[in-house]
Amino acid sequence: MTDQKTDESVTRSTVRESNRRVDSAVMGAISRFHLQHGVVRMLVLTLLAFAIFTAVKPRVFLNPLNLQNIAIAAPEIGLLALAIMLTMLTGGIDLSIVAIANLTAITISSLYTAIGATDAGLAESLAPVIVLVGLAVGAVGGYVNGLLVSRVGITPILATLGTMQIFNGIAITWTGGKTLYGAPAMLTTFGRTVIAGIPALFLVLVAAAIVLAVVINKTALGATIRLQGANPVAARFSGIRTDRTLTSTYVMSGLLAGLAGILFVSRNPTASADYGSSYVLLVIVIAVLGGTNPNGGFGTVLGVILATLTLQIVSSGFNIIRLSSYDYAIAQGAILIIIMVIDQVTSGRRRRTVPKISDALATPTES
Amino acid sequence: MSSEEASGSSGTGDAVPILEARNIVKTYGGVTALHGVTLRLTAGHVHALAGENGCGKSTLIKIISGAERPDSGEIVINGVSHAHMTPKGAIQQGIQVIYQDFSLFPGLTVAENIVLTSAVAEKRTLYSRRQSRPAAQQIVDDLGLSLDLDQEVERLSVADKQLTAICRALINDARVIIMDEPTTALTHSEVQRLFALVSTLRARGVALVFVSHKLEEALQVAQDVTILRNGELIISGPATDFDRRSISHYMTGRDVDESRLVNPPRYDRDPVLSVQDLTLPGAFENISFDLHAGEILGLTGLLGSGRSEIAEALFGVLRAESGRTIVDGKATTIHGIRDAIDAGIGYVPEDRLTQGLFLDKSIADNVIASSLERHRRRGLLDARTIAATITEQFQRLRIKAPNVEAPVRSLSGGNAQRVVLAKWLANGPKILMLNGPTVGVDVGSKEEILTILRAQAAAGMGIIVISDDVPELVSVCNRVLVVQQGRISATYSGDDITPEAIQEGMAA
Repeated sequence: MTDQKTDESVTRSTVRESNRRVDSAVMGAISRFHLQHGVVRMLVLTLLAFAIFTAVKPRVFLNPLNLQNIAIAAPEIGLLALAIMLTMLTGGIDLSIVAIANLTAITISSLYTAIGATDAGLAESLAPVIVLVGLAVGAVGGYVNGLLVSRVGITPILATLGTMQIFNGIAITWTGGKTLYGAPAMLTTFGRTVIAGIPALFLVLVAAAIVLAVVINKTALGATIRLQGANPVAARFSGIRTDRTLTSTYVMSGLLAGLAGILFVSRNPTASADYGSSYVLLVIVIAVLGGTNPNGGFGTVLGVILATLTLQIVSSGFNIIRLSSYDYAIAQGAILIIIMVIDQVTSGRRRRTVPKISDALATPTES
Repeated sequence: MSSEEASGSSGTGDAVPILEARNIVKTYGGVTALHGVTLRLTAGHVHALAGENGCGKSTLIKIISGAERPDSGEIVINGVSHAHMTPKGAIQQGIQVIYQDFSLFPGLTVAENIVLTSAVAEKRTLYSRRQSRPAAQQIVDDLGLSLDLDQEVERLSVADKQLTAICRALINDARVIIMDEPTTALTHSEVQRLFALVSTLRARGVALVFVSHKLEEALQVAQDVTILRNGELIISGPATDFDRRSISHYMTGRDVDESRLVNPPRYDRDPVLSVQDLTLPGAFENISFDLHAGEILGLTGLLGSGRSEIAEALFGVLRAESGRTIVDGKATTIHGIRDAIDAGIGYVPEDRLTQGLFLDKSIADNVIASSLERHRRRGLLDARTIAATITEQFQRLRIKAPNVEAPVRSLSGGNAQRVVLAKWLANGPKILMLNGPTVGVDVGSKEEILTILRAQAAAGMGIIVISDDVPELVSVCNRVLVVQQGRISATYSGDDITPEAIQEGMAA
């Protein structure tokens, strides 16, 4: 008799235990889905944009040349969007990235032509060094931003607005406002290289995205960047070195911008101070669209990459159905606002329901 | 003058309810927050509404103030039944809620804050500074308060902000004032001042509701007590029927042990922390004490006595001007938070929502926030040891949450505090300082947090508890230091640690 009873209670407790485990697994999956929410949404949006233009003009849109064009135009924008996403993670922003990218492009072009004027062969063999100098310009630009934001304590949007004007001004006086021609053949060849149908430029974006994703998700620096953005005060009280984190962030942002500048000259052997002047707003749209929280703390590399592709698909699709770049600008704004509205509605609902679910789970264990 | 009239017109003895919330049921999704709860408020009485976090107190207040609609039940005000309230209707009926943050406008003056909402309610288009001042002055005089009407609210002390909020409620002809945790941020003397004001309000025939965790304060001031647990009305009756012990029993459904339970510290060894003549002019002076492994040291004093500043200086938030800090026998210079952490010091701050937690981040992210360096392997974070640390802390501190991915924002006060504790324990500090470790934490969680502290001390950690919760200090501390005007004015140890002695030392 008694044996049976204990058996029963044992079964009941194991059932309860396994129920609890299933519960917590389901809740875990749900909250993870919420975290990945931006990525899932972006994936749907990317596929949707692709499907729409495929349906409208399948022959032109699916033409390999068109797809390759998308893959060649996307990387530079993608790199800049990743840079701005990274700074947004800390709760800041970097408006100077396009100016930095142009400064890198101008550095590479003018160094190459200056050396090439005396010895063309030397200029070509020094190409790797010239590229590194260009990257260093990006890093230095980012370091200046980092110092202003972390040590001096200027609000990022103002600090980088200032440096944007300065870097841009330097670029204009340096070039006299003219477009520079000339880039190492190493770069221009690379810009034309296609590996297994995929342009090499696109592979650069993929590689940079993978490295950045590892930095953000798998390193202590990445964790501090996210925590810094989520709550700077708590970050300080947790012993996170705020100034170091911010400086590293802006240096990385500068490096990504420098890399984008290298892609500028690889695509087109020219450099000018006013290239991509509409990019700053575009990449902010992309970063936010990709699920980056402008208040800091949240954002994913994958979301930003998908958002980049979506906007490139829309841009190229608009071209094909002969809509102007102004229509594209309207579409950009509309997409951003629609997403923000959906966010407001769903996050409002989530905020109201999520605590209740956990309350419900917490109460039975409490009593 | 008019206060005397008011006190004459309304007696405190009659038991006609001014407001009655009857059989309130409220569900959110499938979860029942309130199962048929009834609350009767009598004019001229203070009603203590008690219960652990998540028991339904705030839902009930929201229903009375019109912020939420009940699924069933009625709200009877002066004999008139309402199926639900609206925020505007509630204010018109004289129901005012004073939340913990007081909802004041920091940039406006006291007079403006007192008058403005009623001016808005009367739909006055233009605001006249000249007209508003006398009205504010009248209320302040009626209550016999000394408030500087022209001071900007952001410059006021917490206590004066609260008084401003009370005046604002009264200018709207409040007949029911609900106060959410009114005494948490007040010093002992400020609490007494508030209670004096409460009797003035009672004399005016106002019904007050105190939502409070501090049991003996609630008992000191209340005539009626209602206790909720898990959304159910457990008991309601005159305050004389309750004592501290029975209230906590009703709140938790079990007996809460508040008796003194301390382990002997390792006095035979060198102190783990030795502070010598630590001075920061304006905050504290010549602070010297030793902390031994296994010891729980209480640091108490009134708000503004310097007790928090001492802790903040030891953690590198503030920089002491002179003095020596010796950690584990080594003289240590603490110029920043990182220096303190590297020396093996952890700090659970007083303001856990802004200083302690990343509210929108998961429990997991919060737990490893201070120990990222410990979890590095070849430049990358080691996912395996991180997962192990998180699971270990999650289970050891018995954090009640569906899983470690849940955002901290969804946790109750007690569980959120455990997350802050977990963050520091994950870093294995030699010295842990906790400022107000159980503020805003319900009774059951409080006991568990104290148990965790005892266990950590027994394992050899040196712990400093900064608190003005006297029963808590008596319950866990081996020694208690009282800080007065930046100096250590008294030290209690062993059997000398009694609630009376510490209370006296703080007020002396």
